[in-house]
Amino acid sequence: MSKSLGQVTTAGKVIIPLLLVILVVGPIATYLLATVAGPVIMDVLNSNLGIVRFVVAITGVLLFSIPAAFIIIYMELKVIAFMNLRIGPDRVGPKGAAHSVIAGLKVLTKEDFSPNAADRTVFTWAPVIVFLTSVMTFLVIPFGPGLVGAKLNIGVLYLFSVGGMSVVGLLLAGWSSFNKYSLLGGLRAAAQVVSYEIPLTLSVVGLILLAGTLSVDQLAANQAGWFTNWYVFRQPLGALIFFIAATAEANRTPFDLTEADSEIVAGFATEYSGMRFGFLFFAEYVNVFIISALMTTFFFGAWNAPFPFPHLTVALDPGSLGILLPIAIAVGPLLVTLALAVPFWLIRTKAPAWQALLGGFALANLLAFGAIGLLTYISWDWVAGLIWFFVKSFMFVFVFVWMRGTFPRVRVDQLMGFAWKWLLPAALLNLFVTALAIIVVKSL
Amino acid sequence: MTLPATIPLLGFAWDDLLFMTLAGIMILCALAVVGMRDIIRSGLAMIICFAALAGLYVLAGAPVVAAAQVLVYIGAISVLVLFAIMLTQTKDAPRALVFQTQVVPAGIASAVLAVLIAITVAATDWPTAGARLWTNTTELAKTLFADFTLPFEVVSVLLLSAVIGGVFLAKRERGAD
Repeated sequence: MSKSLGQVTTAGKVIIPLLLVILVVGPIATYLLATVAGPVIMDVLNSNLGIVRFVVAITGVLLFSIPAAFIIIYMELKVIAFMNLRIGPDRVGPKGAAHSVIAGLKVLTKEDFSPNAADRTVFTWAPVIVFLTSVMTFLVIPFGPGLVGAKLNIGVLYLFSVGGMSVVGLLLAGWSSFNKYSLLGGLRAAAQVVSYEIPLTLSVVGLILLAGTLSVDQLAANQAGWFTNWYVFRQPLGALIFFIAATAEANRTPFDLTEADSEIVAGFATEYSGMRFGFLFFAEYVNVFIISALMTTFFFGAWNAPFPFPHLTVALDPGSLGILLPIAIAVGPLLVTLALAVPFWLIRTKAPAWQALLGGFALANLLAFGAIGLLTYISWDWVAGLIWFFVKSFMFVFVFVWMRGTFPRVRVDQLMGFAWKWLLPAALLNLFVTALAIIVVKSL
Repeated sequence: MTLPATIPLLGFAWDDLLFMTLAGIMILCALAVVGMRDIIRSGLAMIICFAALAGLYVLAGAPVVAAAQVLVYIGAISVLVLFAIMLTQTKDAPRALVFQTQVVPAGIASAVLAVLIAITVAATDWPTAGARLWTNTTELAKTLFADFTLPFEVVSVLLLSAVIGGVFLAKRERGAD
């Protein structure tokens, strides 16, 4: 024992006794936790449900933002690669799927450098503001029926006020770096975001007039039923203005002047490295998801399916089978596999039997998972809502990636002229026409 | 087991603790705005001050006002102020304050304002003021567009004239330069 312990490394000498301790202490602690502490904890949680709900919602959105950003970064790399007839990332994971995760880990290990002349405090806090304002927006987005962090009755106003705060972070990031490119990037960000916020907000006012509510959750619920109920069919101009202005708000191509790498290096992010840069980068992709989700929520039916779906509660009671249940569990899969293997064997008699069995097994699994999926989709409306919400949102994410792969960047004067001379009058026109239509319809 | 209604040792309600925290942040930041040497940092302190004020509005049961506060004061006005400072000021500028030459008039103005606010606070009948709290957006809209339509319109005309005046001042004379 002592001899074999002498052969392990120093780290091993620490870990092996620790493992033994954990093996002994773990079960005892679990038992105590379940019997003694469990009821007390549940009692405390139940009596403070409001606070618990808030904490859970905040943790949820914070955690959700990470995979969302990873998926969108990977999607952007891969989709643009295909559009450019390249392969794109293909080293880590199947088809390079883990690429963005590894890139994120790499950013964590990099040196956290700040320039000599930088304003250290502001330099440190700017990425935090940018990231925080992005993630805070998630709090009122309804992911499915009932799946919303906070049901604010001023949800739309909250969205725009929090979204407008991110520009403070960008401006500070640009200023505190003490670098002319960064400052230019920050100033561009401020000018652009403040200008485009006006048409962005005005484009939704028509929608609010129609819906008669400021709650995002209620807006989503209003669009139930057939897809003709979606607000895009009643507010097409508003949807278009919102789409364009949101693209500018998120600093995406063709409005990515804030970090135009051919003009001002990387804009406000030039001097950032390590995880601070990671936060800025992350926030950008979280923003892409947010504007896609908002497009979906405001104009494309939120979590509603495009057609009314029968909501059934399938009452399965496996316990009533009695002794037959274990037999069915034991024999059922085998019988199904064999039954599904028969057609494979009949089609290709020359193939060996194990290939037919393998085909049958695969088919049985496919059917089983399909059945389970269908069952969950039908019985829980929040599962269906979640699926539809993500399908629609990622469709818009794809559109944004597509735009990045296709469009050239606009000039600064074109950017400003477009916002004030075209988008703003169009948004006002949309508002007036909507108001007029509502009055006319009401007086009829 | 719920949280106790008052804070165990100090003996006042949680709302009051939140109010004191926010008010303390506000006062500290307001002092920082006038006292700090770096004008950009003064602007940042102003933003924190506005954010704390928004928090106070939420605490007072007026989320609409709070959201408008964040949207207008932090998202637009502070950003424009910072924007203008950054365009005109560089870090090479003199470290000594150039804008604190009007300390005495500013002091007089704030003293007068403080007295006015104190008089208003003393004159207000707080229980009835607390009763007409409009948290509902519909109620707020009714009040704003039915009872107070004229002041609302006058304010919009005032803002419009300010915008036109700004455009006129910023407009470059053709052939002047």
